[in-house]
Amino acid sequence: MSEETANCTICRQPLGANGRCQHCDEDSHVWTIEDWRPLLTLALMIALGFSFTRLVVSSFDRRQSALSWEFYAAGNRAMDEGRYGQAAEDYESAVISSHGNAEFRMKLTDALADSGATSEALAQLHDFREQRPEDAQVNLKLARLKAKQQDVDSALRYYKDAIEGVWPDHSDPAPQKTAARMEAAQYLSSLGRKDEAEGVLLDVAAALPANSPEQGRLAALFLANGDGMRALSIYQAQLERNKNDAAALMGAANASFAAGSYATARRYLEEIKPESVESAALRAKLERMEALDPFAKGAMGGVRTGRTIRAFHLAMDRLAGCGVPFAQKMTGKGKSVAAGDAAQWGGFARWAEQLAPLMSEAKLRGKDDVIESTMRFAFQAEMAAQKDCGKPTLDDEALLMLARERLGAGQ
Amino acid sequence: MKLHSERSRELLAKVMATPVRRKYFETLRRMLGPEGLISIREEQFFLVLAIAIGILAGFCVVLFRVAIGAARIWLLGSSMHPAWPRVVLVPAVTGLLIAVVAVRYFPRVRGSGVNQTKGALYIYDGYIGGGTAVGKFVLSALAIGSGQSLGPEDPALQIGAGVASALGRWLRLSKERLRMLAPVGAAAGVAAAFNAPITAVLFVIEEVIGRWTAGILGAVVLSAVSSVVVERWFLGDEPLFRVPLYRLDHAGELLAYAVLGVVGGAASVVFVKIIKYLRPWLRRQPQWSQYLQPAVAGMLIGFIAIWYPQVMGAGYEWMNLAMHNRFPWEVLGILAGLKLLATALSFATGTPGGLFAPVLFMGAMLGGFVATVEQQLFPAIAVPVGAYALVGMGALFAGILRAPMTSVFMILEVSGNYSIILPVMICNSISYLISRGFQEVPLFDLLSRQDGLDLPSLEEENEQAILRVEDAMHPTMGRALLGDEAIGAARGIAASTQETNFLVSLGEGRWSVLSRETLLDPGHDDGEQVRSLIRARVPRLYQDQSLDVALRFMKDRPLLPVVHRGNLDLLMGVVSVEDILRTYRKAGLAEPETAEVS
Repeated sequence: MSEETANCTICRQPLGANGRCQHCDEDSHVWTIEDWRPLLTLALMIALGFSFTRLVVSSFDRRQSALSWEFYAAGNRAMDEGRYGQAAEDYESAVISSHGNAEFRMKLTDALADSGATSEALAQLHDFREQRPEDAQVNLKLARLKAKQQDVDSALRYYKDAIEGVWPDHSDPAPQKTAARMEAAQYLSSLGRKDEAEGVLLDVAAALPANSPEQGRLAALFLANGDGMRALSIYQAQLERNKNDAAALMGAANASFAAGSYATARRYLEEIKPESVESAALRAKLERMEALDPFAKGAMGGVRTGRTIRAFHLAMDRLAGCGVPFAQKMTGKGKSVAAGDAAQWGGFARWAEQLAPLMSEAKLRGKDDVIESTMRFAFQAEMAAQKDCGKPTLDDEALLMLARERLGAGQ
Repeated sequence: MKLHSERSRELLAKVMATPVRRKYFETLRRMLGPEGLISIREEQFFLVLAIAIGILAGFCVVLFRVAIGAARIWLLGSSMHPAWPRVVLVPAVTGLLIAVVAVRYFPRVRGSGVNQTKGALYIYDGYIGGGTAVGKFVLSALAIGSGQSLGPEDPALQIGAGVASALGRWLRLSKERLRMLAPVGAAAGVAAAFNAPITAVLFVIEEVIGRWTAGILGAVVLSAVSSVVVERWFLGDEPLFRVPLYRLDHAGELLAYAVLGVVGGAASVVFVKIIKYLRPWLRRQPQWSQYLQPAVAGMLIGFIAIWYPQVMGAGYEWMNLAMHNRFPWEVLGILAGLKLLATALSFATGTPGGLFAPVLFMGAMLGGFVATVEQQLFPAIAVPVGAYALVGMGALFAGILRAPMTSVFMILEVSGNYSIILPVMICNSISYLISRGFQEVPLFDLLSRQDGLDLPSLEEENEQAILRVEDAMHPTMGRALLGDEAIGAARGIAASTQETNFLVSLGEGRWSVLSRETLLDPGHDDGEQVRSLIRARVPRLYQDQSLDVALRFMKDRPLLPVVHRGNLDLLMGVVSVEDILRTYRKAGLAEPETAEVS
């Protein structure tokens, strides 16, 4: 009998005494312990293949990793030099060489966003977000890009996710969460959604330790959101801890000024030593206001009447600029065509005609009611001109601030 | 367990030294024995083998991709914009080396590898030599790494099939099983190279197997998935493309996508026509020129790459950039055109490497080009460049490779976005139809025929008319006989017709056939039941079954019953061999030798 007939044609095992294969039934081959040997060999081959592949891939990865760090460094240099397109290219090479290192990819998103490739940066970040939806850093970057694209709803949603998200690279995420909240508040404030911004800022204020260096920024955000009083109280608390804190003094001066407490603002400004550019600018603004305020402390007699006459003439100049014929005639300057509401300018012209004859030191002396009326005219004229007659001068601005103080911010 | 050596016997004796050990050993033996819990049948073993093939092919493809990366760095440097002398010289010199090795030692590794694998499946019983797989690995890595405009997917397919074939031969599997292993390995190879198992499975069904078959689908899926797991284990699970978010806002936008379908279809026809004429022309040149052709192609690509380095290699990183609107419209158009030219040059010269990635590259650039042009012409329409680039990939894939199912699912798989399905289907259909309209034979079939092979094609198979039982059956003249009725009554019925054979219903869907001679045999009394004459049952047919099936069941039976699927005792008609042959003759099906040979 030949070897072929002695062996099973399916499994090649020797046939039994009955001429049948002990491993095969009628239909198909049954794998038995005999046949596990090739399977075990196969498992061994897989183990060896795994080890070999791992060895090769790790060796290549090391090489790639070194390369990717070189590209990364080049990308960082390009970013520092403001060459965002080149930086994106370098980071892209770094990402390719590193099989998608997360840090490189995050930098790539920054470079892409800065180079104007917003859609690609967004695609990268969305990809990140799919893998790590709770990653606060990714959500924050997304929020910034969406804010840049003026997609308000998405930006706010991502800000919320960033505030509630996790910061895997930080053992104490509180400062990052605070910063995210503040950024969200700033964004809301810029959108004019002051109440929502105020709510976020109040949350920050409640969570932020009193001695946190972020208190100053918080106060600045309150101030920017139009809540000068809350800002002032934060600066005052800072000054209680360190009365020479120049930043807090400046902040308090700004907050007082915004709240209309000019005297308080001046007091804080006087505390700032040496005087900074910012404090000098505010001081100049205050002085200009004071120089126009007939009701300021110590402004009596000739000073009071002089300030009233100056305010009247400033208002007339402004009205002349608005094209009010009477003011143009009186001041000898201004446009020929009236801008805005003609009836309103007519009212101002009639009011000015009544006041004009009284604008002398002699006629104003002791006439507080006329001074009062003249200042009201000046304030209202400045406020009306603000809408229709272009950019005000520094003196006009000072008069406007006085108007806000005297008439209230709502007018 | 068989333990042949003396040493093994001693070891066994030691192991079985105590009754407890003997008991455990016997239990283990029973579990692994023919009736044991862990014994498995060959079909089950085949599935286990598919997983093993997927893993091993995964290792090979991971190594292949590493080899391409290493070759790229070694030959062209790590920068995305290599220096020009390197760009010109490296592809040329490497091309010469590849040509010498390929022509002299590995002639089967030239080209993409898809039709070679298909040939192995249908002609060589699944045999792919180990040398072919190794040659494909080395030469393709060198070709792609040196900047030839080719991709890694098709070679990975052949490498995977080579691994499967080698494993099957080592396990001494039957010829039938060995043949089935080639597509299993092929799917594993593509899946690991493209990081997309669904695409791989469909591509192998459409392009390698060439026909829909459920027989090995399970094994193909298992191998594809296991190879992707291996690939992701080693190379990470970063997606191939960073796909921008996409949403279809208005149905009218689909018209704008249709333009891309038309442009994609036209580009596909141009590419296939270039290959159709250039490849045989180059092959007709003297033998010595075969050594120079890849070098010349490499040099030409190098010259192009001085200004447009994007055309070199597979170009996935550039596709990502196109998808994110990083190129102006004119650059996108130029890149699409130059890539078409570069790929045609690389491929037609027989340089080992695949078409999968270059086709996607052309599609991405063309999609981006159409999008940016439409943006300028119709600023009111929302034209997302990323989505167009993605859809463009599908359109070119459908037009050039003529794998419509794969082209749709590929885009869905890489984008993970089902909103894009409508534009993809519209574009792919238009591109596919245009390609078919101007180029009858699909590219891979064309390549096979140029190589002198006639392999089955899914597209052609789909077009063949399928003849069914209902086309051949004829109604019965009288009623069928009943198994329970008396022979006398049945003889009465027989006397009233000229039929020579009678169908007998035995109830519960069982049928038989009686000849007139048997029925009229005087050895049986009229009072006996017809059932007593029955010697064997016959299979029943249904109207919707193909005539091929009917023919297989026919054997030497004179006729078979065609019954209703809802009532197996209800006779709808009968069919005989003559009926079947007459129907085939009447249908006048095209015979194989009349098919077009390019």
